[in-house]
Amino acid sequence: MEPGRRGLMPAFPCGKMEEGKARWPDGVFAHLEMLEARAYEAAVKQEETEQREEKLARLKARVQELRRQRDELRAKVDLQQKGLGKAGVVSDAAQPSARAVLEWKIKSVKAMLQVFYLTGISGKLTKQGVCFCISTAYEGTYLDSYYLDLLTKPEVRIHRHSVPTFIPLEQIAKKHLETDIRRFLSVLADHLNAYVGRRHQADQLQEHFSDQIEGTLQRNSLCNLLVFNYNLSSRSKTFPFNARLLYGDLCCSLPTEVSVSCTPEAPASLAETAAAHSALFRRVALHRAFRSFSSAAERADVAP
Amino acid sequence: MENSIFEAYEDEIQSLEEEIKLLAEKYEDSQQESTFFSDEEILMSIKSFQREFWGESKGYESPSDLKALLETLETDLSFLMKFTGIRFTSHSKKTVEKTRNGTVRKHRLSGKCHSLSFQLEFQLLEMQNKDSVSTVITDLSIVMESGEDSDVSKFVSSTEEHRSLLTFFRSLSSYAEWYEHRRCTFLHFK
Repeated sequence: MEPGRRGLMPAFPCGKMEEGKARWPDGVFAHLEMLEARAYEAAVKQEETEQREEKLARLKARVQELRRQRDELRAKVDLQQKGLGKAGVVSDAAQPSARAVLEWKIKSVKAMLQVFYLTGISGKLTKQGVCFCISTAYEGTYLDSYYLDLLTKPEVRIHRHSVPTFIPLEQIAKKHLETDIRRFLSVLADHLNAYVGRRHQADQLQEHFSDQIEGTLQRNSLCNLLVFNYNLSSRSKTFPFNARLLYGDLCCSLPTEVSVSCTPEAPASLAETAAAHSALFRRVALHRAFRSFSSAAERADVAP
Repeated sequence: MENSIFEAYEDEIQSLEEEIKLLAEKYEDSQQESTFFSDEEILMSIKSFQREFWGESKGYESPSDLKALLETLETDLSFLMKFTGIRFTSHSKKTVEKTRNGTVRKHRLSGKCHSLSFQLEFQLLEMQNKDSVSTVITDLSIVMESGEDSDVSKFVSSTEEHRSLLTFFRSLSSYAEWYEHRRCTFLHFK
């Protein structure tokens, strides 16, 4: 732009005045729009970056605070362990408050009540009677617990319970509830523990030896009838043995009747094995029996 | 790229929060397990607690709430002991290990079932599942007063081998009741 002609020349360089005037508004506004868009994008990006930095700062601060708390607690626990090591009893610098002593006692009694859970019969008194809790276990593994809410007046009767329908609760109650509650609970616990024990064996078999069983184990809800086809090794693709276990005694977790047969296509040599298994299943828990097969098979593999 | 930094921080926050929770519980457990107050100390505490806050209750639990709770729990406990015939004379536990997967505690328990004394030491593993807690006995040792009896010692060693704590208590109960019944019958005929 020539300095002398300032006032007369248009701000934007363009072609002839006449032509430029027609195109001029589009060009200017398009350019303005583009600049606006660019400015907007830049602002958005700026805000995003600021937010990200803010979030990062917050997270960093939180991590530092948590690390501090964690280190403090670790030091507290270490000191506590050292103090225990020396005297066997923690000697608190400050005298414990009356509230702390009470809370200790409450926790202590609660712990004792929890130990009763491990004995098989626990419970608590209610306004109208007692609510018993029967716990079940298979060896060292505690399984389901069942509740019995009993009313004691005018006579002992069951208000509510969580005993499954296939357990003959009414029968047992009719026989023992009014004469001897302890006996009633004991008989009921026998039934429940046996049921849970049978179910646990079947579950363990299904869980750990599923490749030796054809399909899934067939069982009824009481778990006192099991039917399944099986083989001795997980590598075999056929299931030559058919087993049927009947647990005639509902208070027992071992079967009273076992029949193990071979499928018609199976080699005759297996008949002896089937007979041996038949006897085995009557004496040994099902999943244990299967575990003994695997270890026998492993030993056979290793033997020269 | 930046998102992975966020994830790293968030993972660390979660793991720190879990660790803090575990440490706090460990501290509480240790405090509880290593303290002991006698019955007199407890009675004194109940009295002084009520004096301190007479008329006003700070926080959730007033002294009367705590006292009532303690009474309810002690009533339940004494009912169970009377009903089952199992009386625990001492109980102590120690947290051996506490991780995200579960807690292992060692328990020492002694008591009497009717007239038969027993002493137990067992290890308990508690694991938190989705909506329940599973309890497994991982070690068990039993000492019984009438341990010289060969039937009793066979029973004890078989129970220890299978860690069948529940079976121990159930069998002990019925054996003790029978034993008691027999003892009373003999006394009757003396």
